[in-house]
Amino acid sequence: MKSALTRMICRFLAIALMALPFQGVQAGMIGTDQVNSAVSVQADRSAVLNYLSRSQTVNELQSLGLDLQTAKDRVAAMTDDEVSTLAGQISAAPAGADAGAVILLAVIVFAIWYFAFRR
Amino acid sequence: MPEPVAWCRNARLSAGVFLLLAGLSGCASLVPQTMALRDAWPAGVALRTELGEVPFFPQQDYQCGPAALATTLVDAGVRVTPEELVKLVYVPARQGSLQIEMLAASRRHGRVAYQLAPRFDDLLREVGAGNPVIVLQDTGVGPIVNWHYAVVVGFDYPEGELYLRSGESKRLAIPFTVFEYTWRKSNYWAMVTMRPERMPATATEGGYLAAIAAMERVGDGRAAMLAYSAVLDRWPDNVAASVGLANGHYALGALPEAETVLRGTLARHPDSVVVLNNLAQTLSDLGRNDEALALVERAVQRDESPFAASVRDTHALILRRMDRNR
Repeated sequence: MKSALTRMICRFLAIALMALPFQGVQAGMIGTDQVNSAVSVQADRSAVLNYLSRSQTVNELQSLGLDLQTAKDRVAAMTDDEVSTLAGQISAAPAGADAGAVILLAVIVFAIWYFAFRR
Repeated sequence: MPEPVAWCRNARLSAGVFLLLAGLSGCASLVPQTMALRDAWPAGVALRTELGEVPFFPQQDYQCGPAALATTLVDAGVRVTPEELVKLVYVPARQGSLQIEMLAASRRHGRVAYQLAPRFDDLLREVGAGNPVIVLQDTGVGPIVNWHYAVVVGFDYPEGELYLRSGESKRLAIPFTVFEYTWRKSNYWAMVTMRPERMPATATEGGYLAAIAAMERVGDGRAAMLAYSAVLDRWPDNVAASVGLANGHYALGALPEAETVLRGTLARHPDSVVVLNNLAQTLSDLGRNDEALALVERAVQRDESPFAASVRDTHALILRRMDRNR
């Protein structure tokens, strides 16, 4: 933790998280998420850090033109790992847009062929 | 002098030109996986395949993401249009769609989104198995970057080309070499969106379980159960899948079904703490606390297990219920 403020926020969030209904847990049954990760020692700390990453990602999506609910819904569909990867990277990550430059590629390769081989 | 567009459509000519140029400039290294295919075509995959039934959605403006995703989702039985997907994947200020959101959006429609390994072999194997594959290409040249999603729906190796639903083209024929040149820059990123009862041909146990759990997280419990069943068909020994399936039954209140699944797993894995715990919980809920106690006591002995706390809770619950019954 970098500062007293961050520590305080994390403590507050940890307490707040305990009050939230924990998604996916049924009374007494060990859930699939736990089986997959199989190490619950780090779970509480990871949960808090993940909560922060999710909030950050929601904010970033909002700043890129989405309304709050849409941003929240989209982040809610991401896994913890995906959120960690994306948080802070949204501006740089590849964003598939359109096929436009396929023609450019074809033109360039054609130009090379034309000038190098046709004569 | 042939027009550039018509030339581009002559796949063999352009493949030949590309290979010639690549060879001359020593740049076969630009397309290493295509080179490798010449030595070893993936075993069991036909040399020609085309998935003609895969729908086509011509993209609008910068929305190749929604168009590509609609293509594979509709093929997987979802009723959706690219317009409806815009608000799930399009990022206005980036004028495009992010890869992670392409995966996440699929889950919201009850389809398992699975990212393939970054290998040409795997792409070909998936298409060969009937699964259209979304790929991320950089169709720019050199320093110019132009990210674009397309869907691979077929290939003809003797002809040297793949067939894509791409942009405005229902059937874009593109040479293997040119395709790899564009695909390599996304680190060979590719994904499929599976009906829950079907598995990708190239799925790995761990990877696919994570993909199912990701979909389950979004809330489609029934789809997750179908997917876990599919995993068990291929890998009957998989504990996480059977726990997932049993949990699904349990959540729906189908306790006898949960018991059946867990007993089957217990026969294969008699020392599994998770299975012992969950079966004990299920039996206790069915009112069979004596049987439940016997099972949970086996689990309680394993106090080094990461699930020890859950097991102790289950044990305490069963004892309380037995006390009440006295």
